[in-house]
Amino acid sequence: MNNWERFLNIDRRWIYLLIAIVVIVPFFIRMGLPVVPTQEVRSVYDLVDSLGPDDAIFIGWDFDPGTEAENQPMGVAVLRHAFARHVPVFVTAYWPLAQGLAEMGLASVFDTRVPGNFVYVPWAEWESVRAAGYAGRDSLESAWEAAGNSLPEGARGWVFEGVDLANLGYLPYFSLVILGMGTSIANQYPTDAYGNNLHDMPILQAHKNLREVDLAVTLAGSTACMSWVVYGTSRVGLPVAFGVTAVMATDYFPYIQSGQIVGMMGGLRGAAEYEVLETEGGYTETTGKAYRGMDVQSLAHILIILLVILGNIAYFAGGFHKKTAMKNRR
Amino acid sequence: MYETIGLSVAAIFTLAVFSFLYKENPLYRFAEHIVVGASLGYSIVVTYQRVLYPRLVEPVSHGQELILLIPAIMGLLYVTRFFPRIAWMSRYPMAFLLGTGMGVAFPYDMQTLVLRQIQSTMIPLYTPGAPWFDTLGAFVIVFGTLSAIIYFFFSKPHKGPFFGFGSKVGIWIIMIGFGATFGFTVMGRISLLIGRVQFLLGDWLGLLN
Amino acid sequence: MKRNVPLMIAMLGGLIMMIQYFIPHQASQDVFDYYTEWAPLVGSFALILGVGSITRVHVHKIRAKAPNWPFSLAVLIPLYLIPLFAFFLPASIGGGTENPSLFDFMYSRVQIPIQATMFSMLAFYIASAAFRAFRAKSALATVLLVTAVIVMLAQVPIGDLLGRWLPDTGLWILRFPNLAAKRAIELGVGFGMLATCLKIIFGVERGWLGGAGE
Repeated sequence: MNNWERFLNIDRRWIYLLIAIVVIVPFFIRMGLPVVPTQEVRSVYDLVDSLGPDDAIFIGWDFDPGTEAENQPMGVAVLRHAFARHVPVFVTAYWPLAQGLAEMGLASVFDTRVPGNFVYVPWAEWESVRAAGYAGRDSLESAWEAAGNSLPEGARGWVFEGVDLANLGYLPYFSLVILGMGTSIANQYPTDAYGNNLHDMPILQAHKNLREVDLAVTLAGSTACMSWVVYGTSRVGLPVAFGVTAVMATDYFPYIQSGQIVGMMGGLRGAAEYEVLETEGGYTETTGKAYRGMDVQSLAHILIILLVILGNIAYFAGGFHKKTAMKNRR
Repeated sequence: MYETIGLSVAAIFTLAVFSFLYKENPLYRFAEHIVVGASLGYSIVVTYQRVLYPRLVEPVSHGQELILLIPAIMGLLYVTRFFPRIAWMSRYPMAFLLGTGMGVAFPYDMQTLVLRQIQSTMIPLYTPGAPWFDTLGAFVIVFGTLSAIIYFFFSKPHKGPFFGFGSKVGIWIIMIGFGATFGFTVMGRISLLIGRVQFLLGDWLGLLN
Repeated sequence: MKRNVPLMIAMLGGLIMMIQYFIPHQASQDVFDYYTEWAPLVGSFALILGVGSITRVHVHKIRAKAPNWPFSLAVLIPLYLIPLFAFFLPASIGGGTENPSLFDFMYSRVQIPIQATMFSMLAFYIASAAFRAFRAKSALATVLLVTAVIVMLAQVPIGDLLGRWLPDTGLWILRFPNLAAKRAIELGVGFGMLATCLKIIFGVERGWLGGAGE
């Protein structure tokens, strides 16, 4: 065994250690390298940015815990953007496990210990205000504040369940659910994820089916996202934007070019771009988790490229390309 | 208190799984088995709370929509699978869902995955005022897609000016596509690791403020 | 009864749903609306199959004291404990009402960290694979490798520092040649799906009948 061969057969745990170092150390040496948003992400952002209280969007939690690190920051970013603009949001889940992830995403936006977050007002909590008659979001907010409620310091605004938000939760055979929602959302979801009757909610009275919805953002780590295009866009012309894991992102460029999807956030980088746009737009004070991960991402890519180069140098310098097979490759 | 216990438990499980990188060990196997049971257990709860209760138990127990008993009985036929003699009955709900599912999918798949994609490949090669790289791109979309399709066309030998040359160009295009996917795959995998490191260093140890 | 009736159900169901698409009549729409309400209900019962078979396998292992049988307990206990927590024991860890329930705890502090970490380990494996297996053995392999390197650099902020041309080239690759390759593949997938639909509806593909006896 010559030196090159010994080098190529190095215990894989040394490589693991290198990766571990590269993903830990940069967190402590903040470089804050700039992330330049691409058109693919900007189109999603611009569309959400053009909406207001009379419109509505769906955010589909269509991933499971395995890809949480990539998909969750996208969901959180879009939620923040929509809530800041008072765009009503419907939240759905494609998988049973995704329902919990959606709730965690919402909880992180409603954590008032963090400045810049929103105060969540559950449906049951503003019942007394509702009993006096609901006449639009603005009057609701004034009535709510007149009833002695005030925004905590640092909070960005109220999110009234039933007006700004309906968490619909999980349903199986979600493709059919999307088709069904083309006719009626309430037929598919008689209650929301917490058991509240959806028929009574103003958000549902204003947006009865997918034809009355302006965008669906699907966050996915599998082909689940295509259900929205196949059954939402094709049937009722629902505009759909993707927030998919990097592994899948390259597959969906054909659908951007064909105009079947509005745009796409691909992987953590896509989420970081959205965060940058949001900060530029004044919706957040600072960028979030995804952007913070980008320095690490940069160095890890450099390491992997170095590993590829070193592997190839050893391969060719050791003359392995001339042999039919390498011995004892682990 | 809850926060501390919760974060510590989560961190212990995270480290237990990572311990596999050093060596296979019982702690990792324990975590691996727990996740199988836990995800199914969670699915039972969510499916009951979101589907069976609001759509079946509640309306039927109030004597409304008794017609829902039909899909319920059909669904229950799945259970016959555990009794070899009548296991064939489990084919009925499967046949219903599979058949209708395919019937529903066919026209939508045709429209979305095939027709629109073909249509979007028929684009003008030259748009006045477009920068050179977009014009080149349009050529790549039209001829690249065609050649890659030719490469996947196995009913004819890849010989001659059309199939031979076409499939050669096609494989180059496909390799570029795979290269892009590989690059993105690296990115995705690293991102997932970043997520866990952010949890351990930030949420658990509080080192990232 | 055992094979032909299910095949007929699949065919009839498939044809009705397919025809339904082309008939914009209220009656047709009503059939469809019923269907979208019923199908998830029928489908959710399939979960019993999963729970039943996993229980059977692991109970068998425990009874037979098969090698590593204690791990089977690690599957069965959370499988039954979690629904128990949710339906009968909505207690919380800290005892107060403010705290999340045991059910939430099992999900957010056990399930998510394990599953997320398992996926994150792929980062280590892909790094190792990049070192050991990613070789410029031929012209085609070199194209793949060079594209991957450009895209990898283009996707991270450090790529911008090396010059704007790098991310621009990366995006061009994604938007044009990558698009062409993926469109060809997706078209193949699309035609494959259509063929599968027809094969199942017309009973050519019968694999799904298997596993339930003759």
